[in-house]
Amino acid sequence: MPTMTVSGHQYSLDSHGVEAVLQGALPEPIQEHFVVINGRRWPPKQVLALVTGLDRADFTTHQARRALTRLGFTAGRAASPRGHNPATSPAAAPPPGAASGATGRPEPLVEALRPFIGLWVAVRGDEVLVAAPSPKEVVAWLAKHHQRAQSMFRVLDSEQAITGAAPQ
Amino acid sequence: MRFAFRALPAASGGALTPRPVVDIALEGLEAAPIACLLDTGALRTRMSAELAPLAGIELPGDLTEEFFIGGLKTVGTLARVSLTVTDDTGEFSWDAPIWFCDPWPHPFGLAGLGGFLHHFLVTIHAYDGYLEIEPEPWLGEP
Repeated sequence: MPTMTVSGHQYSLDSHGVEAVLQGALPEPIQEHFVVINGRRWPPKQVLALVTGLDRADFTTHQARRALTRLGFTAGRAASPRGHNPATSPAAAPPPGAASGATGRPEPLVEALRPFIGLWVAVRGDEVLVAAPSPKEVVAWLAKHHQRAQSMFRVLDSEQAITGAAPQ
Repeated sequence: MRFAFRALPAASGGALTPRPVVDIALEGLEAAPIACLLDTGALRTRMSAELAPLAGIELPGDLTEEFFIGGLKTVGTLARVSLTVTDDTGEFSWDAPIWFCDPWPHPFGLAGLGGFLHHFLVTIHAYDGYLEIEPEPWLGEP
C-alpha cells in the first residue's frame, strides 16, 4: 500500500480504501480541478480531507490532486465555466441535443449521465451537478451549495421505464 | 421557449431515443425544475408525490383519485400550484392543477392537457429534436 505524507502526517492509502471512504458521500461542486472516482467527479481537496481527516486548509488542491493521481485516479480540469448552458442558448438552432437522435452523434449529456443510471440527478447544460438516491438529497445538495439546476429527474435505465406511461 | 429533446443512456450501452421533455419548476423548488415528459395523450399533469414536500406543498387529500399507470395502481392527490418554465430567453409562470402521485413509477413527471398543454401553444419539431412552447395569448389578459 503506497504511503504518502500530507501536511506532515504520513498515510497509507490505496485506491480501494479511497473508494470505500467515499461511499455514501456526495461530491461538492467542481470549481476547476477534479478527480474521477467511482465514475464521478470529485473536488480533490474534498476527497483528501475525507480520506485523511485533515482540514482542507492544511493542503492545497495541487497536493490533493497529486496524491490521488499517484493512487491511479484520473484527474482533470473543468473545461467550461459553470452555468454555461448550450442546450438552451438562443443562438443554438437547432439545440445541440436535437440532432443526435437522427445522426447518431455522441451526446455529451448521455455520457455524463451514464454512471448515474437509477439515481436522481440535477443537471445544468451537459453537466451533472449532483446524483443521489432520492430527490430529497439532490435538493438538499443544491441548497447547501447554492446551486441552481436546469432539470432534475431520475436516470432511467430502459425504454420500458417510460413507455409504460398510460394516457389518463 | 425552446427545449431540446432529451436523450438518456441505455443500460445496455448507447442511448435511448430522445424524447420531448420540458423542465417545470414548482414554486418553492425553483432550484430544481422537474423534467416532465410531454404527453399529449394525458388528461392531467402528474408528478411524484415525494416532490411535493420538497417544495413545501401540502397535499390536502380531499381530492384524490386512483388510477393505473404502467400497470401500477397509484393514487393521485390534486394541488393547485404555481409553476415556472425558464430558458435563456425568458421565463413564464402560471397556476395550474397538478396531481401528485404515490407511488410514481416514472423517472419524469408527465406534462398533460390539464396543467400544461391548456396553457401553451406547443410546436414539436420531432425530426430536428426539439419543441417550442409559447404561452397562450389569453393567459396574458386580465
